[in-house]
Amino acid sequence: MTTIAQTRQRANDRANRRRDPFRATPLTKAALLFAILLSVFPIYWMIVIASRTTSQAVDTPPPLLPGGNLGENIARVFATEDAHFITGLTNSLIVTSTVTLSVVLISTLAGFAFARLRFRGRKLLLGSILLTMMVPIQQMGIVPLYQLMVNLGWTGTLQAVILPFLLNGFGVFMMTQYTEQAVPHELVEAARVDGATTMRIYWNVILPAVRPGMAVLALQVFMLNWNEFMWPLIVLTPENPTVQVSIAFLTGQHTADYALIFTGTALSVLPLLIVFIAFGRQIVGGLMEGAVKA
Amino acid sequence: MSLHVDTDRTGRAPAPPRGSRHGRRGSKGRRERTGRFDLRVTPYLLISPYFLLFAVFGIFPLGFTLWVSLQKYELAGDAEFAGLDNYIKLMSDGDFWNAVVNTVGIFILSTVPQLILALLLANALNKRIRGRLFFRLGVLIPLITSVVAVAVVFTQLYGRDYGMINWVLNLVGIDNIAWQNEKWSSWLAIATMVDWRWTGYNAIIYLAAMQTIGRDLYEAASIDGATPRRQFWQITLPMLRPTIIFTVFVSTIGGLTLFAEPVLFNNGTMTGGSNGQFQTVAMYIVEQGFRRFEYGYAATVAWMLFVLILIGVLINYALVRRIGGGSR
Amino acid sequence: MMINKRHGRLAAVAVAMAATLAATAACGGSDAPATTDGTKAADEKITLTLQTFGGGTNFGYKAAVEKWNQEHPNVQVKYNNLTPDFENQYWPQMLNWLQAGKGAGDVIGIDEGGMGLAKARPQFFTDLSQYGLDSRKADFPAWKWENGVNTEGKLFALGTDVGGMAVAYRKDLFKKAGLPTDREEVAKLWSTWDDFIATGKKFQEKVKDVKFVDGLNTWFNVVLSQEAAKNGNVSYYDKENKLIVDTNPAVKSAFDFASKVNEAGISAKLRNFQDPWTAGMKKGAFATMGAPGWMLGVIQGNITENGEKPDQGKGQWDVAAVPGGSGNWGGSWLAVPKQSQHPKEAAELASYLTSPEAQLLAFKEGGNLPSTIPAQDSPELQGAVNDWFSGAPLGEIFGPSIKTLPPIFLGEKHSQTKTEVENVVLGMDDGSIPADQAWQKFIDEAKKVAEG
Repeated sequence: MTTIAQTRQRANDRANRRRDPFRATPLTKAALLFAILLSVFPIYWMIVIASRTTSQAVDTPPPLLPGGNLGENIARVFATEDAHFITGLTNSLIVTSTVTLSVVLISTLAGFAFARLRFRGRKLLLGSILLTMMVPIQQMGIVPLYQLMVNLGWTGTLQAVILPFLLNGFGVFMMTQYTEQAVPHELVEAARVDGATTMRIYWNVILPAVRPGMAVLALQVFMLNWNEFMWPLIVLTPENPTVQVSIAFLTGQHTADYALIFTGTALSVLPLLIVFIAFGRQIVGGLMEGAVKA
Repeated sequence: MSLHVDTDRTGRAPAPPRGSRHGRRGSKGRRERTGRFDLRVTPYLLISPYFLLFAVFGIFPLGFTLWVSLQKYELAGDAEFAGLDNYIKLMSDGDFWNAVVNTVGIFILSTVPQLILALLLANALNKRIRGRLFFRLGVLIPLITSVVAVAVVFTQLYGRDYGMINWVLNLVGIDNIAWQNEKWSSWLAIATMVDWRWTGYNAIIYLAAMQTIGRDLYEAASIDGATPRRQFWQITLPMLRPTIIFTVFVSTIGGLTLFAEPVLFNNGTMTGGSNGQFQTVAMYIVEQGFRRFEYGYAATVAWMLFVLILIGVLINYALVRRIGGGSR
Repeated sequence: MMINKRHGRLAAVAVAMAATLAATAACGGSDAPATTDGTKAADEKITLTLQTFGGGTNFGYKAAVEKWNQEHPNVQVKYNNLTPDFENQYWPQMLNWLQAGKGAGDVIGIDEGGMGLAKARPQFFTDLSQYGLDSRKADFPAWKWENGVNTEGKLFALGTDVGGMAVAYRKDLFKKAGLPTDREEVAKLWSTWDDFIATGKKFQEKVKDVKFVDGLNTWFNVVLSQEAAKNGNVSYYDKENKLIVDTNPAVKSAFDFASKVNEAGISAKLRNFQDPWTAGMKKGAFATMGAPGWMLGVIQGNITENGEKPDQGKGQWDVAAVPGGSGNWGGSWLAVPKQSQHPKEAAELASYLTSPEAQLLAFKEGGNLPSTIPAQDSPELQGAVNDWFSGAPLGEIFGPSIKTLPPIFLGEKHSQTKTEVENVVLGMDDGSIPADQAWQKFIDEAKKVAEG
């Protein structure tokens, strides 16, 4: 797909350089640079404050360049035992990976069934999933879910923040659409003719074909879940938090100690930042391809 | 990327073969039986994980929410049946309606500029430009921060006395603004947090859709003398309709359940300012349920949040039918 | 064949997932199983969590906990101050954890405003008398002791500190405004609250960039605690837990004073115990602060960043007498939640932290005025001088009144009511609620909580 587009683009470039509607004017470039500046500034600011002392953070005029206190601040974050920062990071990784794996698995299974299998009640069931997409379960059901966790004795534990998120209507919907477009009927039929069972078709035909879609879904679910705040804040305790809850407690415990709080915040962003820088090309490519097909 | 699900295509698919031509293992009869079982039952097995989990973590909480909403709870104590009292109370509860107005207000204030900016940004990114990847990554970078991180940083930037935004405003002669104190200013501040995080992401989604539009359309328009602006309105926008509708749909659900940004904007309290200037419905649920321990009333508000989302989605659906219909 | 390879990959995914789930389960179950009787083998090392609230040095337990940890190698204490904000954050969260049976520490701090509810929920707390803590009764004044006895007549909490009242002020800023800086002369500036406001206006004429008081809410609480003592020792609720905000003259007086401060334009409009207030304290955005004993620790702790830079701001602040006589704002208790897995050790810790010895350590660290009679009578308190507060003679300022502080009754819903009505005071301060509508809204909000 990309190659075709590229070839075509190159041909167009040659043919139509003068009347090219895709020429970037200096204004466009300036606007883009400004947009990037806005995008990057808060992250840059986070690093500036994280590398300064708290009294510098509230100076007027504000400091615009990073200072030399980053190491000291990082040491302080890790020395602040009551924030349970490391626990928070580890917990977030565990919770988010589990949820992502589960959603991707459940969604590819159901997406396959809805897109390429015939069974009674298919339309109705798919329609019902579309409906459930509109229900923010974790927010609407917050009271009973909380009471359920209390009764199970699961408050303060990770299963309390994993289980309610294992399903995701959007994932099923997306994988249904993706499967429809990525897997030709003929492929499934050929496998059937060869005597493959449905499960074998899933593993041998469907999964390889929908892998790009899976990656996009995984990325989105991961980010969504990494950010989850309301439910963990209520059901977890300061001793066993996710990273977001840990930062919320850090801001509470160390009021207005901006250097410390910003350092914690920067550290919480760091893992994703590294992934982003390392796999930037693939992430942008994946997002764009997933977006077009889904 | 539209909401349209192709339900007919599989219906028209050729019927699966009965039996098998290559009985590689087992007798023909057994294979036929397992084959039939496979065809009939496996589809349900495949979708069952979703529905089982949905029953436990979807239907049960929703049903139970209904039951809880009919109860009256003592502060950190026992409950008793109260019938529809909570719903009656809700109708005349100024704080609830205030939260609804705030939620919808912040939602509009954040979504409309966000999607417009995303469109313009996508259009700019779609130009031929050196360092394409750099620009794309640049606009996408806010996405990797967390909502909590964004809220923490922006709240500091919006600080009344020592925040950078007020400092910049001072330079152009505007006095310090106490952003939390007024509806307009707090809404604006919260909306920028949402926008900052999501505009680039939506731009990339739009960009992806834009690149599927055939370049020949634009070239033809160029030859006809259409300006780039006119091309944007006449070609790009109509072709992007399904994608736009999808992003509006996703933003609706996200916007109407807004929680972390306004909570952290006010030091982690659920009240949304001293007079509830920016208390959203989600915050009101937590305030009632987990700050005042009115579980029953919180459940009632939760149901109303659902109604609110339903209305939002229905409006979107109307949009899908009106403008989305033509493009497919 | 392909299939085998794929199946291998499937297996890998399955293993990975199982491993993650197992890790999850392990993390979830990391809370050690509870022992039923709370006793442990002597050589087994246990950790107790102490949860408190408050800004700056909060309960002032740093030194006391260090001492305990040195003397009890097998019972280590983790001192976790959760948030400066009791009503909005700490107490509701604590109630969630108490109800859920998980999350609360082994020893928790409870502010006076939460004690009404805590007393009425005996199911949440361990009976301390079973560990012999009844013997502590003689240490405490009767009211401090009685408030730690719940509706079932069981002892569940021991008193930590009491309020007391003074005014902390910035000497350098007073000098800038041409006001006297000596604490005796400063006290003479404001023999009444009207004088206090007049002084504030005078200050404001000279100094423009700094306000005279931090915000309305601090001073509202100062006056309320003084007036409550003059009006039957009740605040928002009478002793039958009936809401009396609209009939208790103490509440109206305190509110009216807040209105006057608002009209005078001498408020920095900062909400106490929130970030901008703390930052304002560090930067010197206001010149005075209503100060019960524990508030001195909030100021000193915030400016010295929890004792890490002990000399920062030293000699800037001083402490003077308050207009309107003594009051009792704040003061807390320690309780042992029933969910504690080591109730015996936790009870010992609570008893230690409320002992005269530890209370004096806390006083030294954060100014928290001791609630035990031996500590109150001790020369360490009566002769205390605080170097950081310009050598203010705290013993002289707080000592005489400390034993006669009025015990104020606070109802079951006091904490929840306080949140709502203080929001109105703050709204008046920041302008989101018009001053002429504020009193009516004050009453309405209180009624909503009381009836809710």
